[in-house]
Amino acid sequence: MTRQNILSVLLLLFGIIFFLHASDSSVPFRHDLSEYLPKLGEMQGWERDGSPQEYREDELYEYINGGAEIYHEYGFMQVFVQDFKSKSGKAVSLEIFEMEDAESAYGIYTFKTSAEDQRLVLGSDAQLADYYLNFWKGNLLVTITGFDEDQETIKALQELAKAVDAKIKAQGGRPRLASVLPERGLRTTSIKYFQGNLGLYNSYPFFTQDVFHLKEGIKGDYEGGYSVYIIESKEGEGGISAYDEVKKSFEESPRYRKFNLLEMNLFRVQDRKGKQIFVSSFKNCALIVMGAVHPIQAKEVFSDMQENIGK
Amino acid sequence: MTKKIGRREFFKRTAKIGVSAVIGGSVLSQFSCSKAVKCDIAVVSGGDYRNNTIKAVELLGGIEKFVHKGDKVAILPNTQSRHPGTYTNPDVVRAVIRMCRKAGAAEVNCLSWLTPKHWSDSGLDKAVIDEGANLKLIDRDDESLYTTVPVPRGKALKEAQIMSEFFNNDFFINMPITKDHAGNKFTGTMKNLMGLNYRVNNRTFHKEGWRTEQSAIEHLDQCIADLNTVIKPTLCVVDATEFITTNGPFGPGKLIKPQKVVAGVDRVAVDAYCSTLWGLEPGDIIMINKAYEHGLGEIDLQNVAIQEVKI
Repeated sequence: MTRQNILSVLLLLFGIIFFLHASDSSVPFRHDLSEYLPKLGEMQGWERDGSPQEYREDELYEYINGGAEIYHEYGFMQVFVQDFKSKSGKAVSLEIFEMEDAESAYGIYTFKTSAEDQRLVLGSDAQLADYYLNFWKGNLLVTITGFDEDQETIKALQELAKAVDAKIKAQGGRPRLASVLPERGLRTTSIKYFQGNLGLYNSYPFFTQDVFHLKEGIKGDYEGGYSVYIIESKEGEGGISAYDEVKKSFEESPRYRKFNLLEMNLFRVQDRKGKQIFVSSFKNCALIVMGAVHPIQAKEVFSDMQENIGK
Repeated sequence: MTKKIGRREFFKRTAKIGVSAVIGGSVLSQFSCSKAVKCDIAVVSGGDYRNNTIKAVELLGGIEKFVHKGDKVAILPNTQSRHPGTYTNPDVVRAVIRMCRKAGAAEVNCLSWLTPKHWSDSGLDKAVIDEGANLKLIDRDDESLYTTVPVPRGKALKEAQIMSEFFNNDFFINMPITKDHAGNKFTGTMKNLMGLNYRVNNRTFHKEGWRTEQSAIEHLDQCIADLNTVIKPTLCVVDATEFITTNGPFGPGKLIKPQKVVAGVDRVAVDAYCSTLWGLEPGDIIMINKAYEHGLGEIDLQNVAIQEVKI
């Protein structure tokens, strides 16, 4: 075989390997997140501080030591981090998280935001807290953190967010479950969307075990002083048997007391702090109303939920 | 390979540093509080965090109760992230080092396997060095720098790997910041001990299949409680001045400012108290329950003498 032939065979082999790798659907597509950075000089009075950092998949443990699990639960893929500093010595940090899909990005966004935050018109949703800002768009979550609450810092958070938002072309909607919460009295900044037991446990520690066989879930707080949870079971794990398991778990857990079966498909318990929890089910969803509500009002809320789920 | 030591040798070494938990029994009774008032936990609030720290230790009987002339003292502040309210306040650290040196400590050694960047980002490196303590950063990837110790009472954790440098000290002051944690809902004195343990070993605290395994949340808490059976701090000084109550442990999250420093010897009681600072119920924190079940301290704050002072 001539040298030319050997070279041709090698090139062919290389091409085959490259093709196989490129067409492997198990290798997720990742954006080049540096594309979303503002150009040099775009942020007046601010400049990049140091080199960017990037972490993929399990490397996140290097960056978020001891707190990466919740990001993984929501389908973390990679994060890009770039610091900025101002001429006056202020600093902000930009983090762009790429998640598996838009629903995951929405989920981790709801996990990281609080009901008290101020809503902003940015991305698909945005909320500003005392010293940091979150927005999501497509399958991306953007978190920008200041290190103080000064006006200059807060202004920079918003300007940086606008600059990044303008560069993101990705689109994607909220999960279907987000539209199932009854609208009347809902505090929209309080919504939490769950894709795993850890997220749910952080919202309210119902059980450490996956009693609900959670596929996904949503929670919202209401003006009336109560909260609503809709927890969808994994396929084939919902229905009457799942409801019976949930009922039994509430009845037997030392966390809860005063178990009271109000109807075949509705019971009430109290947690250690005396908070009332009404539980019902519909299709493959566990429905929960928590707080100081009269049973009649709770039943009205359940009815609204069932109507929305049935749509 | 890590160094491996037998139980007898471990008792010998741990007795030197005042780490006697394997033997069991509370050390609470070893240290009497201030003469006039019984005080298991001292809580001092006010805008000057150094003074708060000094006063809190005074209420427990003064630093001389714990640190003696010529002693080598290990301290373990938390500097997990640079976000506000996620790392031990440098003023609290300064005050503890200053008290130890004033009591005649031969050395104050600040131990950590985190990177120099973690320490510089929080400003804690400057605080430690300014006050004349040694910042001993142990290579987190070099297993030979960690000593394997048995965890005979461990229900989930059978072996820990503690940084060998730790055993060269006579006393240990645990100095966490209390804050939210997405895995445990709470972090304080007990979880902070993971900062002494080899991080590969720490990874086993998080179950491989934690996304689907139902017992993963409890496993993490059990491992932390188990780890606490082999390391017992001489004193806990907790920064509860400004800390995050959401998105922990990394942040950014909702910041509250109780301006408190909490000191005590009974870490279960200290953690139980700290959890109440943002409305959590100690009985709802699995880690605190597991530690109580191990007999490491008191969970019921009704049985704890808490002295609160505002300065």
